[in-house]
Amino acid sequence: MGQIRHEAMNRHGGFDVVCACDTHANFDADIPLVTDPTRVYDYDPDVVFCCVPNRMIPDVVCDALERGKHVFSEKPPGRNSDDVRRMQAVEARHPDLVLKFGFNHRFHDAIEDAKRMLDAGTMGDLYFMRGVYGKAGGANYAQNWRNDPSQSGGGILIDQGIHMLDLFLMFADHFSDVQSVVQRKFWTDVPVEDNAFALMKNDAGVVASLHSSATQWQHKFTLELYARGGFISVNGILSASGTYGTEVLNVALNRLDQDGNPIPNPESQEVRYTEDHSWDKEIAEFHAAIAEGQPVRCGTSQQALDVMTLVERIYAADADWPGQIAATATAG
Amino acid sequence: MQTPVFIDDLPDISTVASRKSDHYRQTRNRALAEMLLDDAVSWHERACPACGQSRDLSRNFSQALMPFQRCSACNTIYAARVPDQSHLDGQRLRLLDELPPETADKPKRPREFEYISILNWIRLTEARSGHSLGKVLDYRFSSQAPSWPDAVTRLGTHRDWSFLPLAADGETGFDDLRDRLQAETPDAVLLYGEMDRVADPAALLRVVRANLPRGSLVFIATSCADGLEYEILGADSPSFVPLDRLNIFSVEGFSQMVRELGYTALEVSTPGRLDAVILQHYFTEIENADVPFWSGFFRSANKDRLRDLQILLQRSLRSGVMRFVLET
Ligand SMILES: [Zn+2]
Repeated sequence: MGQIRHEAMNRHGGFDVVCACDTHANFDADIPLVTDPTRVYDYDPDVVFCCVPNRMIPDVVCDALERGKHVFSEKPPGRNSDDVRRMQAVEARHPDLVLKFGFNHRFHDAIEDAKRMLDAGTMGDLYFMRGVYGKAGGANYAQNWRNDPSQSGGGILIDQGIHMLDLFLMFADHFSDVQSVVQRKFWTDVPVEDNAFALMKNDAGVVASLHSSATQWQHKFTLELYARGGFISVNGILSASGTYGTEVLNVALNRLDQDGNPIPNPESQEVRYTEDHSWDKEIAEFHAAIAEGQPVRCGTSQQALDVMTLVERIYAADADWPGQIAATATAG
Repeated sequence: MQTPVFIDDLPDISTVASRKSDHYRQTRNRALAEMLLDDAVSWHERACPACGQSRDLSRNFSQALMPFQRCSACNTIYAARVPDQSHLDGQRLRLLDELPPETADKPKRPREFEYISILNWIRLTEARSGHSLGKVLDYRFSSQAPSWPDAVTRLGTHRDWSFLPLAADGETGFDDLRDRLQAETPDAVLLYGEMDRVADPAALLRVVRANLPRGSLVFIATSCADGLEYEILGADSPSFVPLDRLNIFSVEGFSQMVRELGYTALEVSTPGRLDAVILQHYFTEIENADVPFWSGFFRSANKDRLRDLQILLQRSLRSGVMRFVLET
């Protein structure tokens, strides 16, 4: 992730990268490389990009803020909502500093277009959303820090599903009701979920259904938004790995019969997005926040807190889930 | 620039078969022949109306009635000679009186889905592009489709529409359009099926741009020379009625022309929908028509295959009708 951010900063041109900290021996960059995180401050940076495992995020972020640095941190913002609150407390003591988290899905062109069409009122009131985000758990699943709850705070939901939840919150603001099923199907001896299903509702009655899966086998991103006047779906999402396909937005407005009832299967428009501008837009927003005092729209600590709280509520809403994990711990 | 693909059910083959009746075609060809013989009509020789390539470098497209060329630089199909606009308009008015284009339609189904498609196209583009299109001027589509203004009143939402029909008072060129644009300053103009019918399409677009504030939108639908229908059937295409198709632009040619006129293209699409069905109809009707690969393909294709092909054509910008959204 650090290299992706580095490249985006180079394209932006407003950053002068003075130092990187990494454990990779084959790190390839024209900049000094250190392995001790505190050594980066020898270079007196104005800004710190925090691309570390979830457990380390709060310490690195708080330390950087205390040293007077603007901070961009990857998601998830720590392992739980308490981690976010800790960072918020330090952020509150440094109101002149910018803290932003990398919920970059909001910056994808298809997502932005979907938001514009809903915000313009073209689609009418939002009724419900369906999101599927899934992959094949991957090599070394059991050994990966992402699947060690002491490091990550959870499994596929907190790692990948969190992006979909962040989008849900962008469209529906806050969910008052949360129901869930959290499961392990394939990696039954690893103490994190490989599937999470959630059904949520906000105060306005907008329903959202999420399926976050590490046993999807085929990489998949689908977000569907159904409204009074039609629907929008986004299939595929441009990613660094390129494995979630091209981003394709489909949008349709209903055509009504003489009685005002929608006729099935309206004409739809398919729009394809082949270039991923999300990294660049995200970096540009961060830069504008620091250099011009513009507000951070996406990835604020409040949004981070909201989404982490929602993750926790989804885990908590399945009464059987803690028992399953406890069984693993005892067996292990 | 976005390239949306408009996806809908394939039309039934009977709609295509009855779309342009023989009577319609004969009437228009007779009108064109009359104009060719009329000494009062002044004819103008021209190069490719899209990219300006000399006629000498182009290929022959059709010699029936009068010469049509296909530009070898941009693929646009065009009449090599065009009549002056005022005679063209006069003839078109007489034909509309004589044979309203909608009489062939079943009265219960007056192009409703096409109208909805136009209105939804404008609504979605407005939202995606962040424009606010409170006032839209329709230029002449209301003459071609008399039920269109009524449909707009019934279906149009939160938008003021005005309609400028084909003029009967002998005005020349596009003076009526200029006056109306200056008086109303609409946020958008709809040119539906006009670019293929006018003698000087660039002049029409020049008038539009010169009389609108920057940032206004122009919605254009016109025939597309890149469509598989024109590529395979050439002048045998049932959509090719010479008087109605003085300019059949290619995507590349039209893009180049509007760029040179100072427009920015926000959207281009080819929502033709009819290529696959037209071609299947052609190859099944005319048994001895033989084109390598395609005649066999269309004779054996079921509805699923036709739909797959049609969507592929549209995704590849190779269907017989195109839509542009331009910003002034
Ligand atoms: Zn040309």
